[in-house]
Amino acid sequence: MSVEILQAKAVTKRFGGLVAVDRVDFTLREHEVAGIIGSNGAGKTTFFNLLTGMFAPDEGAILHKGEDITQMTPQQRVARGVTRTFQLTSTFDNLTVTNNLVLAYFRAHHKSSMWNLLFTRVKRFHDEPKILGILETFDLLTVRERMVKNLSLGEKRRLEIAMAVLAEPEVLLLDEPLAGLAESEIKGVLDVLRGQIGKQTILIVEHKISHIKDFVERLMVMHEGRVIAEGGYEECLNHPEVRRSYWQIDTDETANA
Amino acid sequence: MKNAFKWWWGILLAFGLLAASRFFLPLPFVNEVVIFSIYTIGCSFLLGRVGFISFGQPAYLAFGAYGTAFYLFYFGTNPYIGILVGVCAGFIAACIVGPLFVRLRSDYFALVNLALAVIVFYMMQKVLAEYTKGDNGLWFLTNIASTPVLNIGRSSEFFIFAMLVAIGVWALYKYLDDTIFGACCLATKINEGKLQFLGYSNFKVRLLAFIVANTTTALAGALYAVYLGSVSPEITSPARSADPVVVTILGGVGTLFGPLVGTIAYTALRDVLSKFIGNWELFVGFILVFIMLAGEKGLWGSAAPWLQKLFFRGKAADDVAEARR
Repeated sequence: MSVEILQAKAVTKRFGGLVAVDRVDFTLREHEVAGIIGSNGAGKTTFFNLLTGMFAPDEGAILHKGEDITQMTPQQRVARGVTRTFQLTSTFDNLTVTNNLVLAYFRAHHKSSMWNLLFTRVKRFHDEPKILGILETFDLLTVRERMVKNLSLGEKRRLEIAMAVLAEPEVLLLDEPLAGLAESEIKGVLDVLRGQIGKQTILIVEHKISHIKDFVERLMVMHEGRVIAEGGYEECLNHPEVRRSYWQIDTDETANA
Repeated sequence: MKNAFKWWWGILLAFGLLAASRFFLPLPFVNEVVIFSIYTIGCSFLLGRVGFISFGQPAYLAFGAYGTAFYLFYFGTNPYIGILVGVCAGFIAACIVGPLFVRLRSDYFALVNLALAVIVFYMMQKVLAEYTKGDNGLWFLTNIASTPVLNIGRSSEFFIFAMLVAIGVWALYKYLDDTIFGACCLATKINEGKLQFLGYSNFKVRLLAFIVANTTTALAGALYAVYLGSVSPEITSPARSADPVVVTILGGVGTLFGPLVGTIAYTALRDVLSKFIGNWELFVGFILVFIMLAGEKGLWGSAAPWLQKLFFRGKAADDVAEARR
């Protein structure tokens, strides 16, 4: 029986009078690949931020392996193995590609005590087999010495996911990893994501659901802060409320999306 | 051996040239450059590496200077111990105010440090006047004992000592650039959210940077005290709060040699221009405006890529230049 890794129990988040996330229940099981879809403003990213500790819920609880982590900081959640990527690509543009990866690798394998930070040299990890392997897997070997600000958006997105994978998290939360990418770059990122199936528990928020239908085992559909459907890909997309709220149509065209 | 040489050559070349200038430039000018550049490197580090601008550096300079001055005026005569006391005073002050200040946004950080400089100025000028002798300052030149090997009570030997200290300081900052801490500083400067989601503490990184930078500033204050043989509240005057920021921008924010180049330019402008122009700061102001409009790179920041292209031909010059300067 699969272990419940991450759970949200009736979490609610309000911004003034707006209920961004409304009593959402959600469970992510070990080595599962789940997706969250919904139109703009559905509350997907807010829910993501609640899971990762960027926001604290007004009501409800977040559990990690059954333990309440609602009040934990993002840093504490990362230490427990919950890490994320951002909707807008989030890397360190003033560092080289390799040094971005070194920061992710170092934290996954060492405590970030002042002593460790001060007395560990970055170059020590430049030839670390895992970093070289990730550079190769994510097709970043040729740009490893480049400053990140000089990379294309697709390369940055691959780097961000590479950093998340290199941190060896138990749960990888990907916030719209295909946003803003060209079709050719989408294929590269998807190939990388497919490679992680079975190795990590993945939750992915994505607009372009046709791209992720092949490897997402379970979907949750959000609309105006609420969960309106949950289950397999076809089941969700044919759900009457999804067709009405998400697609704003009531025909069989949905299935062809 | 080859790697060690590659690591050291820039620092040794820079300070070798400065040492050589001793033979054709006035000693007070060169001593001033060495101490002022140490004063500036902490500010440059905070601004260029961590993204914190501080208008309160005179406060930390004063902690170092008065720490040394109190020791040499009231307690002892050994200038080396005096400098050590000054550095410890700066370190302790940074450890006390750091945890409060580094939680602030960069703009408030600048202002709270300025406020600290004002507080320290009035403390030294009025509140503690009984001990600091107010505006007259503490005079202890004759208290400084002769020391074996390097008698730093003499200007010429102080110069050698200050040069060795400066080389050590530059080596420290170059080393920091190569560490995980150095990478974290750059990371927190532009993307603190991401650093947090990698599992690092922005607070810890910033606090460490704050302590390192302001202990270095206190070291400069301690050197000033021994070099001048006196300390007055003028050293922490709020009117001079912008000096290290000006020199940092002039030299090139966040670059290793920017503080040195900026200090040479600033001191030269001050010493030369002030002979011909009454309001020489006006001229410096125009230069700063020009530098910022021209891309904020400063003198060394503009020159470094050209020099890097000369030495690292065949590689992606922009990347190499940024990664190594």
